Amino acid sequence: MKGNEALAEAAIQAGCSFYAGYPITPQNEIPEYLSRKLPAAGGTFIQAESEVAAINMVYGASACGARAMTSSSSPGISLKQEGISFLAGAELPAVIVNMQRGGPGLGNISASQADYFQAVKGGGHGDYRMIVYAPYNVQELWDLTLLAFDKADEYRTPVMVLGDGILGQMMEPFEPTPYVRPLLPEKTWALGGCVNRQPNVVRSLYMADGELERRNGLLQEKYRTMKARDVLYQTYDVGDAELIVVSFGIAARIAIAAVRKLREEGWKIGHFRPVTLFPFPERQLRELAGPDRRFMTVELNAGQMVEDVRLAVNGRSDVLFYGRPGGAIMTPEELYERLKDELKG
Amino acid sequence: MTTTEKPMTLKSLTHKNDNLSGGHRMCSGCGAPTIVRQVLLACDEPVVIANATGCLEVSTCLFPYTAWKVPWMHSAFENAAATASGIETMYRSLRKQGKLKKEMKFIAFGGDGGTYDIGFQALSGAMERGHQLLYICYDNGAYMNTGIQRSSATPFGADTTTQPVGSAVQGKTQRRKDLTRIMAAHNVAYAAQASPHNWKDLMTKVKKALATNGPAYMGVVAPCNRGWRTQTNDSIVLSRLAVDTCYWPLYEVEAGKWTINYDPKERKKPIVEWLKPQGRFKHLFAPGNEGMLEKFQKLVDDDWESLHKMASAFGAK
Repeated sequence: MKGNEALAEAAIQAGCSFYAGYPITPQNEIPEYLSRKLPAAGGTFIQAESEVAAINMVYGASACGARAMTSSSSPGISLKQEGISFLAGAELPAVIVNMQRGGPGLGNISASQADYFQAVKGGGHGDYRMIVYAPYNVQELWDLTLLAFDKADEYRTPVMVLGDGILGQMMEPFEPTPYVRPLLPEKTWALGGCVNRQPNVVRSLYMADGELERRNGLLQEKYRTMKARDVLYQTYDVGDAELIVVSFGIAARIAIAAVRKLREEGWKIGHFRPVTLFPFPERQLRELAGPDRRFMTVELNAGQMVEDVRLAVNGRSDVLFYGRPGGAIMTPEELYERLKDELKG
Repeated sequence: MTTTEKPMTLKSLTHKNDNLSGGHRMCSGCGAPTIVRQVLLACDEPVVIANATGCLEVSTCLFPYTAWKVPWMHSAFENAAATASGIETMYRSLRKQGKLKKEMKFIAFGGDGGTYDIGFQALSGAMERGHQLLYICYDNGAYMNTGIQRSSATPFGADTTTQPVGSAVQGKTQRRKDLTRIMAAHNVAYAAQASPHNWKDLMTKVKKALATNGPAYMGVVAPCNRGWRTQTNDSIVLSRLAVDTCYWPLYEVEAGKWTINYDPKERKKPIVEWLKPQGRFKHLFAPGNEGMLEKFQKLVDDDWESLHKMASAFGAK
């Protein structure tokens, strides 16, 4: 099973009952799989006429209480930004999958991580954030997709699964752990017919004096809660490390291979992998920071997450960067050499 | 025509420059490059091309190479008509300012995904504003570039990767959007359907479209052996069959005047002759699906009859 198919099956297991998408490489296996399997599972599959239409179909389905998902790749995700902002503003749950490819523009169809800023800083307009999960193997594509639906419902917010072309296309063994639905509040806000009750209203338009500011305050409160409760990360050998490599997603696969090899050779090196890119593990990184320790982010872009690591350590450690932008990919050997040079000083 | 035309013969065409060079990466047997060659051969003035994302765009322009010997621009999937509008407007402005003397022509190419679906809004806008440009859709009836997903040009019953044949559904349940008619309903200066098997008809239409005063649209049937599941040497046969079965009638709407350019009359072939060689319709010939074949034939017959009504009501008197 390809990563894209694992993610699509996880969505079905998580009770996704509505999917709308539009063709773009390298994520086509997601709509193709769901066009075959989702209707059989009682859900609805729609191929929209554009990415803009797909995200707004998700908006409509989510407002009616469905667990709704859309997927695309970088240029398509750019087109969806208005809809994502509307989902956040109207507090509607949805899962948005971005299997990133090289950019900007049409770019290429190789794996990339250049949509980090767009995903974590809010690519659409307004003061909103999404929970952003960054899986680094097919197992996590499965696990984090299950979790994404729950978190979307829990917070009534769009949640992004930020993968890339390699993760989507790769095949590797994984354990399809059964989905266990947590206790979640009823969707009493959903538009499901208002016989014997007051009509519900789903909106992101607040025109009355001070109303929108209050609304934004509530959203920010929600984001603070996410920061306190939903940070996920993984560390390898950071205890005595003089150099900590920070990377996420497919870059972490490469980086961890290089770090392990250096560790075996006796170098004091470790790895830190943010699993949630928002909320970002800033406190955890700050606690690791100190004058005797350096950090290096390794990314498939021109240097994006490095800014958040610098903010997190706030001058207490030097933060270096190594990256390959534009859909290019580094090898573990290349990174090994680069890190070894750094360790030698 | 601005120039006195000699009759167009194959021999005369061999003396003209081929403006789409060989060595591009389109699949062997693809209908699109044949169509593009015919279109470019029909252009007598300098021409500028805008190209939507799609097979034609990715396969003819693999950086740092290009197969195009004419100015060519690609921006994204949804906006070839908008890009062409911008180029054409700037051209008019430069002409008005006296900075450009040459007469130039503007053509936008898009596949059916980039034309019928995501590019529809931009196309409609460009036609309504009345830019002096020709939009040509090479219509292979699915998103072939990304792996044969259905589009609103996909024929009824066809098997695609997002409307696949299974136990519950037998391919596409909807009929295709009739885009040429929708373009005609924009009251454009010229709208037509053509097919690469009839190069003379196609090239005459391109010449007419470029000579007309106002926006023009052409839909051209483009066999795709990957998506249609056919032999690579069958493209021209299949485009001819599309016309002979009246699935893809050759007609034009010139300033509101409807003309059927080719009427097979009693030689009109049953639609199964076009469907049968195509793997994407294989399931329609399975027992139990006879009704779908009948429905397909009826859709074609009804459209053909309706086209005749338009031609007799609004044709040349």
